[in-house]
Amino acid sequence: MNVLIFYSALFCYLLSSLAYLVYLVYNKKTVEKAGHYALLAAFFIHLASVVFRYFQAGHTPITNMFESLSFFAFCIAGFFLFLKRTYAISSIGCIVLPAVSLLLIWALTYPTDVKPLPPILKSYWLPIHTTFSFLGNAIFFISFLVSIIYIIAEREIKRKKSFLFSARFPSLETLDLINYRCMSYGFPFLTVGIITGSIWAGFAWGSYWSWDPKETWSLITWIVYAILIHNRLAIGWRGKKTAYLMIAGFISMLFTFLGVNFLLGGLHSYM
Amino acid sequence: MQIVVFGLNHNTAPVEIRERLFLAESQIPQMLNALQDKSIGESAVLSTCNRTEIYFCTGQADESLAMIKDLLVKYFDIDSKVLEGYTYTFKDESSYRHLFLVASGLDSMVVGEPQIFGQVKDAYRIAVHSKTTGYLLNKLFHKTFNVAKRVRSETRIGYNPVSISSMAIELSKRIFGDLRNRKVLVIGAGEMSETALKHLKKEGLSDIFIINRTFGNAKKLAEDIAGIPYPFEAMPDLLGQVDMVLASTGAERPLIGPGLVLQIMKRRKNRPLFIVDIAVPRDVEPSVNDIENVYLYDIDDLKDLSQKHLSDRLKESERALRIVDEEVKKFSSWLRQSEKNPLIAYVIDKAEAIRSKEFKKASQKLKNADEETIRNIETLTKAIVNKLIHPHVALIKQDSEASETIKRLFTFEEEDEKDLDDRNERQ
Repeated sequence: MNVLIFYSALFCYLLSSLAYLVYLVYNKKTVEKAGHYALLAAFFIHLASVVFRYFQAGHTPITNMFESLSFFAFCIAGFFLFLKRTYAISSIGCIVLPAVSLLLIWALTYPTDVKPLPPILKSYWLPIHTTFSFLGNAIFFISFLVSIIYIIAEREIKRKKSFLFSARFPSLETLDLINYRCMSYGFPFLTVGIITGSIWAGFAWGSYWSWDPKETWSLITWIVYAILIHNRLAIGWRGKKTAYLMIAGFISMLFTFLGVNFLLGGLHSYM
Repeated sequence: MQIVVFGLNHNTAPVEIRERLFLAESQIPQMLNALQDKSIGESAVLSTCNRTEIYFCTGQADESLAMIKDLLVKYFDIDSKVLEGYTYTFKDESSYRHLFLVASGLDSMVVGEPQIFGQVKDAYRIAVHSKTTGYLLNKLFHKTFNVAKRVRSETRIGYNPVSISSMAIELSKRIFGDLRNRKVLVIGAGEMSETALKHLKKEGLSDIFIINRTFGNAKKLAEDIAGIPYPFEAMPDLLGQVDMVLASTGAERPLIGPGLVLQIMKRRKNRPLFIVDIAVPRDVEPSVNDIENVYLYDIDDLKDLSQKHLSDRLKESERALRIVDEEVKKFSSWLRQSEKNPLIAYVIDKAEAIRSKEFKKASQKLKNADEETIRNIETLTKAIVNKLIHPHVALIKQDSEASETIKRLFTFEEEDEKDLDDRNERQ
C-alpha cells in the first residue's frame, strides 16, 4: 500500500519533469502550469506516503537508505515549491524535478519494507535531528544546482558566443539571489541539525561529540558554508566565486551523507 | 567622369582597424581639402563607428585611387598592405548602389537602424560646406536621400529595428532579469545615446545619469529625456552607483580601463555591472570584460548577436533591395544621358552654383528670419532657377547649334561676375 502511494508520487514527479523539460524547449506558459500542478500533486502524494509510513512503522520514517533518499527528495521538492512562490525560477524545474525523480528511483533499489526501529534510534530527537539535517541538505542541493547553472550561464554571457543556458534560465542576479536565500535558510537548518544531533548523542551515547566520521564531515561541511557566508557578507563575494564555494560545500555534504555511510562506517551507518 | 567609393566597414574590418581609420567631424574638412589638392574633382567623406568611406568623382579612377590610398597611408600612419586588406572599392553602378544601401540602413551592422541616414546627411553637409561637392555628387546625394526615404516608407525595415538598444535590453535581462528600478549611466550625449535611451527608458529605469565632456550637451540631453546631468568628473562616483553603462563618446582614447573598474567593483561590493560600449573608437578597454561580475559588450559583439535576428528580416530586406535596384537603374540612365551631353550638367551646375552663392549672401542678411521663412526663400530660389534653366536644357537636347550659343552664354568670365556683384551692391 505504502509503496503504491510512493509509486504514484514518483509518477507525478516524472510527469512534472517532462512538463518542465517541454517548457524549457518551447517556453509555453500552459505547459509550465501543467508542470506546476503535477509537482503539487506529487508533493502532496509524497507527503501522504511519508505520513502513511510514519503510522505504519510507528516511528519517523528516516531510518534507512530508502526512507532517507525519499525524505531528502521530498524536502527538495518542498523547498523548490517554496522558492517558486516568490521567484520566477520555473525554468530550473527541468533540472530539480528529474533530480528528485532519480533520487526516488534510486531509493527503490533499496529494501522498501518497514523494519522495527533499532533501539539506539528510539528517541524524540530522531524526527528533530533528521528533519533539520535533511532540510538543510535539500536546500543546499538546490543551491548546488543553481550554482552550476550560474557558472555555465555566466560563462556564456562573458564569452558572448552562444546563449543556450542564459537565454532560458533565470537571470544571473536571480540565480545569485536564490543562492543567497539558500545560504540564509540552509545554514541555520544545518546548524540546528548538527546541534540537535550533538545533544541527542549526549543522551544516547553519553558524549556530545565523539569525532565519528559523520560528525567530522558534517563539521567540515558546516565550516565550508560558514566561510561562504563570511565571504559573502564581509568581503562581498558574489556570483561565480560563491557559486564555486557552494559546489564545494555540497560535495562535502554529499560525502557526509553517502561517503561516510558507504566508505567509512561508524555510528551513523545504519543500513 | 566616374563615381567611385573607397573605404571599409564592419564587414571588412575589425573594430581595431576601424578605430584607426576613424575621422572625427572636425578632421573631415581637412581630409576633403587634401583630396581636392590631389585634383580629385568632387569628394565626400562618410565616417561613422562602422565605416569610413570616401566618395569621389574622377576622370582617372585608378590614378585617383592610388593617390587616395597614398594619402590615407600617410595620414593614418598605416601599412599600405593592411589598408589593402581591409578595404573595398566600388565604381560606377556599384558605387552608388552601395551608397543607396548604406543610407537606407541595409549595409548597417544592425539592418534598418535609423542613425546612418543622419550620418550620411552630415557627411554631405560637411562636404558642401567644404565646397568639395559638385554637380555629380550633389545629384547623387540628393537621389540617395530620396531612395532612403522610399525604402523607409515602403518597407517595414525601419519599423521594428533590431537596434543596438534592444539587444542591450535583451542582454541586460539575462544579467538583471529586468531593468525596472535600475540605474543607468550614459557617457556621451550624442545622437546614438539619445536614440538608445529612448528605447531603454521604456523598460522602467529609475535613474538616468548623463555625463559629457561638454556639460551643456549633457544638460540638454538630460532635459530631453528626463535624466540627471552630472559633471564629467563625477564618472567614478556614478560608476559605483549604476547597474548599466552606455558609452558612446567621440573620445579618441578609452575613458575606462581595468584599473578604474577594479576599484569601483570593490566599492560596489561586486554587484554586477553591465557596460555597453557603442563608441568607435572604443570608450572602454576590452580587458575590462575579464573582471569578475563585469560584462562588457562593444559594438562588434552586438553585431554578432544581431545577425541571429537577421533571418526574420530577410523578407523586408528583399523588398528594400528591389527598391534600391530600381533606383540604381534610374540613376544609371540619368547618368548616361548627362554624359552624352555634358553641357546640360555644366549648365545646371553653374546655375546651382550661382543660386547657392546668392542665397547664402541673402540668408546672412536675414538673420532675424525664422527657419521656415529661410526654407521658403530657398525653395523659391530653386524654383526660379529651375524655371529659367529648363528652356536652355530643352534646347540643348534638341538643337546642337543652339548648344554653342548656350555654352558661350554660361561661360562668362569670373571678372564679369564680380562686376555684376559690385553693381548689385551699389544698387
